[in-house]
Amino acid sequence: MKGVPGKKWMLGGLSVVLVFAMGCAKKELVKSTGTGPEAGVSAPSSTETPAGKPGEIVTETLKPEEAGKQMAMAGIAATQEKPSPFEDIHFDFDKSFIREDAKPALQKVADYLKKNTGASMVIEGHCDERGTSEYNMALGERRAESAKSYLVSLGVKTGGLSTVSFGEEKPVDPGQNEGAWGKNRRAHFVLR
Amino acid sequence: MIRYAGALLLSLWILLLPSVSGAVLYIDINAPGGKRMPIALPDFVVTGGDASLGRDIPETIAGDLAMTSLFDVIARAAYLERIVPGHFEGRPVSFPDWKMIGAEAVVIGKVEVRGETMTAEMRLYDATLGNLMAGKKYTGSVRGYRKVAHKFANEVLFAFTGIRGIFDTEIAFSARPGKGKGKEIYLIGLDGRELRPVTDNRSFNLFPRWSPDGERLAYTSYRTGVPQIYLRNLADGKDRIVAQHGNSKSPGSFSPSGDSLYVTLSVEGNSDIYRAMLNGPGLQRVVGGWGIEVSPSVSPDGKSVAFVSNRAGSPQIYVKDFGSSDERRVSRAGGYSTSPSWSPAGDRIAFTSLSEGRYSIFTVRPDGSDQRLVVSANGDCVDPSFSPDGRYLVYTFQKNGYSELKITSVDGRWQKVLFKGLSGVGSPSWSPRH
Repeated sequence: MKGVPGKKWMLGGLSVVLVFAMGCAKKELVKSTGTGPEAGVSAPSSTETPAGKPGEIVTETLKPEEAGKQMAMAGIAATQEKPSPFEDIHFDFDKSFIREDAKPALQKVADYLKKNTGASMVIEGHCDERGTSEYNMALGERRAESAKSYLVSLGVKTGGLSTVSFGEEKPVDPGQNEGAWGKNRRAHFVLR
Repeated sequence: MIRYAGALLLSLWILLLPSVSGAVLYIDINAPGGKRMPIALPDFVVTGGDASLGRDIPETIAGDLAMTSLFDVIARAAYLERIVPGHFEGRPVSFPDWKMIGAEAVVIGKVEVRGETMTAEMRLYDATLGNLMAGKKYTGSVRGYRKVAHKFANEVLFAFTGIRGIFDTEIAFSARPGKGKGKEIYLIGLDGRELRPVTDNRSFNLFPRWSPDGERLAYTSYRTGVPQIYLRNLADGKDRIVAQHGNSKSPGSFSPSGDSLYVTLSVEGNSDIYRAMLNGPGLQRVVGGWGIEVSPSVSPDGKSVAFVSNRAGSPQIYVKDFGSSDERRVSRAGGYSTSPSWSPAGDRIAFTSLSEGRYSIFTVRPDGSDQRLVVSANGDCVDPSFSPDGRYLVYTFQKNGYSELKITSVDGRWQKVLFKGLSGVGSPSWSPRH
């Protein structure tokens, strides 16, 4: 609470660097044991070091504290507006149906997802600040799901789609008028 | 938090001093416009420590008593007698001097400080009869002196009214800390002091709800990036996850025995009410439907649940009796009614309702009759939560992006600001008695 957020960010950044650094150290270790007795028994593919093979995935199990740090980063990231290549769609007060003016934007999202079948998308549901926050949490979920159903009706496969509600917690416009509230009642499309 | 829990253990021994008078009810709290009890709280005697305790403790008690509207604390300038160590060693209090300034009752106290520890002896006298109405001796940390003061304020209230006080209760709520966009869970004393954080993860931490024993808080956190319901043990600060099913999740209320938590879970966009067992894996849907079902509040007898549903087109309050398929609507006001809170006596349900363009607090009987307006202001009043004695509600007041916590008597005649100073203040939840 007292700390400067920038500092914590730096720490978080450092931890990511550390994870990378440790990954490199491990790979080095694999390399150096290449002349050991086990190396001879290995299948031909594994005689090449993982680092030398482009596109190969090196899987490492994070220690609990590193996993904790990464989760903490995800927790903070959840509070920040994520960039989206798509337009937000908007909803009426206390409603979750897809408005006519939202359909062109949804069509663009659908076109993209149908072209890029491997894409994975999180649909965020949001509400304005009016009403109570707990009800808005459920309403945001319904808005996200409503957008998802519409995309599916346009031929998008459900597999790559997930939803999350942020209720009234993440307004894009802090204003106190219908103009701002209208912008905050939205679904937001984030590619993962 | 852990250090604070230490302070809670301050009543290492509480000694009931002898010759406390029999139970006579001096103040009838149900008599409207009844006479207030004039009471004097002279400075306490302090030995071995910070002399300011001698005033801080009686002032804390005075603040608590003032909240009840049942007492008039007589201004210190009028006092004729000074309390000295001898008053605790047999020297009689000069009651005529207190009667002369209009006091019907006097609280005197003595605090002995040894390092970090203090022993505080407090006595309440009837100034007319000169008898001891209540006497306690508390030992604990000096830092926890306010807690001791609240405990004795409870004794004073009980001596005059027969009602168990709530002055040592706390309110949990969520708010945005100074920086960042996340929200943390905080606790604050009923006197608006001793604000302290429960969470510190800079994500969204929302909807705190107390367990019936006051030892745990259920809340929603996005700390891993997605919402989960956590159960925080306040003594050791440890969390565990409850009810992992579905997408968005919020805790509603514990069962009266504390063995389960009624929660809202959204599965494929449909939010329903579930009961999650806390001592095992059980998860059972208790209220469903095609609409939004959210915000369960269980009756104190555990036999019914109040909740919000938008099945009629807009959110309204409903009550379901377990074992019956009947779900009756109880809110009549406005087109938007949410956040039910069942009273500890079980006789009323408080909720938020949109009325004349603003959100106001109402109460209604569980059968839907006798709906009453509690508080309506130039702004929005939302999220009521009953005090453990059922006489007050804490709620959030919001206007133009500003928000604060307020307390109102259930008849709406008395209000005070409990907390302001952070943004996004909301979802207050009143603790049980400690």
